[in-house]
Amino acid sequence: MSTVLAAPSLPLSRRLARPAKGALGLVLFLALWQASVPLVGLEAYFYPAPADVWRAFLDLVAKGILPVYLIDSIGRYASGVAIGTVLGIACGLAIGISRLADRTLSPTINFLFAIVEVAWIPIFVIWFGYGFKTILIALTYVVFFPMLYNTLVGVRTVPQVFVNAALSLGATRLQLLREVILPSVLPNIITGFRVGAGFAFRGLIFAEIVAAKSGIGYLIFEGAANHQTARTIVGMIVMGLLWLGIDNLYLKPIERMTIERWGSVTTAERRE
Amino acid sequence: MSAAPKIAIRDLRLEYVDEERGQRHVAVDALSLDVAEKEFLAVVGPSGCGKSTLISAIAGFLKPRAGTLEMDGRPIGKPGADRGVVFQEYALLPWKRVIDNVALGLKFKGMAKAERHAIARRFLEITGLAAAAEKFPHELSGGMKQRAAVARTLANAPEIMLMDEPFAAVDAQTRLTLQEELVRIWETSRVTVLFVTHSVEEAVFLADRVVVLTPGPGRVKASVPIPIARSRRSWATLNADPEFGALRDRVLTLVRGGDA
Repeated sequence: MSTVLAAPSLPLSRRLARPAKGALGLVLFLALWQASVPLVGLEAYFYPAPADVWRAFLDLVAKGILPVYLIDSIGRYASGVAIGTVLGIACGLAIGISRLADRTLSPTINFLFAIVEVAWIPIFVIWFGYGFKTILIALTYVVFFPMLYNTLVGVRTVPQVFVNAALSLGATRLQLLREVILPSVLPNIITGFRVGAGFAFRGLIFAEIVAAKSGIGYLIFEGAANHQTARTIVGMIVMGLLWLGIDNLYLKPIERMTIERWGSVTTAERRE
Repeated sequence: MSAAPKIAIRDLRLEYVDEERGQRHVAVDALSLDVAEKEFLAVVGPSGCGKSTLISAIAGFLKPRAGTLEMDGRPIGKPGADRGVVFQEYALLPWKRVIDNVALGLKFKGMAKAERHAIARRFLEITGLAAAAEKFPHELSGGMKQRAAVARTLANAPEIMLMDEPFAAVDAQTRLTLQEELVRIWETSRVTVLFVTHSVEEAVFLADRVVVLTPGPGRVKASVPIPIARSRRSWATLNADPEFGALRDRVLTLVRGGDA
């Protein structure tokens, strides 16, 4: 009886309790961290306390370093993801639709896929120097492959009956692409985008450690190299928050939108 | 059939490749058949006789290996809006609302949205789907989906409607209703229809003429006119009708390999 009465209010109480529980966990973590500092008994540059990290954070903001680094990182990330996405979709569509494009491009692309972006960065640095260009190309490279392969799978699994139906209704090649193939491939494109965006974020931090003089990755690396460990930790926390921001504000809404309007609908229809 | 046929098929040979085994199969061989203008022609035959392959060829999805295939005296080539197709699996685009599915061919023709929606709405009314215009295909039952697919084909005003076992995937009860509705819809639109089915009852119920194909590779075994008045074509009337029963039994015997 009591469960029946309690049931309607359960989701609401859960929703209220969730952020509160999350905050409690965070506070506990910080308290343990702070308490562990005297127990560990090491220098602050080696094992900084939460208070040291907070001070380093305020210092980085006051000096204008963190805002500039953050903007650099976001700019590199957004540009690399955007270019890689467009190129990946375009090549995926071309290879999926045209046999000629498939035969000429696929072997090269499969070969390049094996050479991960990390292996390219040293030579990019020689060619393009430290900073924006090298990182942009590396991130484009990282995003390109999951975009391409997912788009390609999408094009190759467009149900033939949809294509036949559109042609019998008088569709031109361009109309077929716009009204049938693109919408049919969209769920795959979203999957590729999500994978690519995740790869690109790791790629960004790594590329900034290796090939930049600014950015969150550079902050993490430089802080440790200069015994400013608190700065490294600020960089790591900002990195985590940045990803949470990208994921929650950007990726999840896109995914939700397509699952609601597309995914379930499409898979249900295809199963028949 | 004194007038020139709508569709003229001569000595047609159709082959398809079994993708899994990589083997070539002859679906139809030496098949000759005319479809008259405004005729409702049903094609029946045992499974594997190439009925559906014949539809694919007329629609332009499949090239003949031999023989000729003409519409109004011109060879049939690529798929086009002049030959509408109703597929067994409906083939409605799942990301488009019913109204936009029905209006799709008109969109391809470049018609403005208001105009094409007005036409689509008219055909949704004819097919009894006016209330479902704003729904997505996955919200419809199988019978409603096939009604929408018929509306989509008719809204595009094709010269011939090719129907490839359109009611095979719906339940038996709905199937009877859809058959009666198709008789009624065809009365109002009077388009040339080539209807492929494995159900002899369905063929005799719907068609002006039933063509029986031989077991694969298919060719025409017999052509049976169905002189039952359109006004009598409802299941309540025909079920006990001796003429319908006799025609059905005759076609059934032909399909099963006998001579009648």
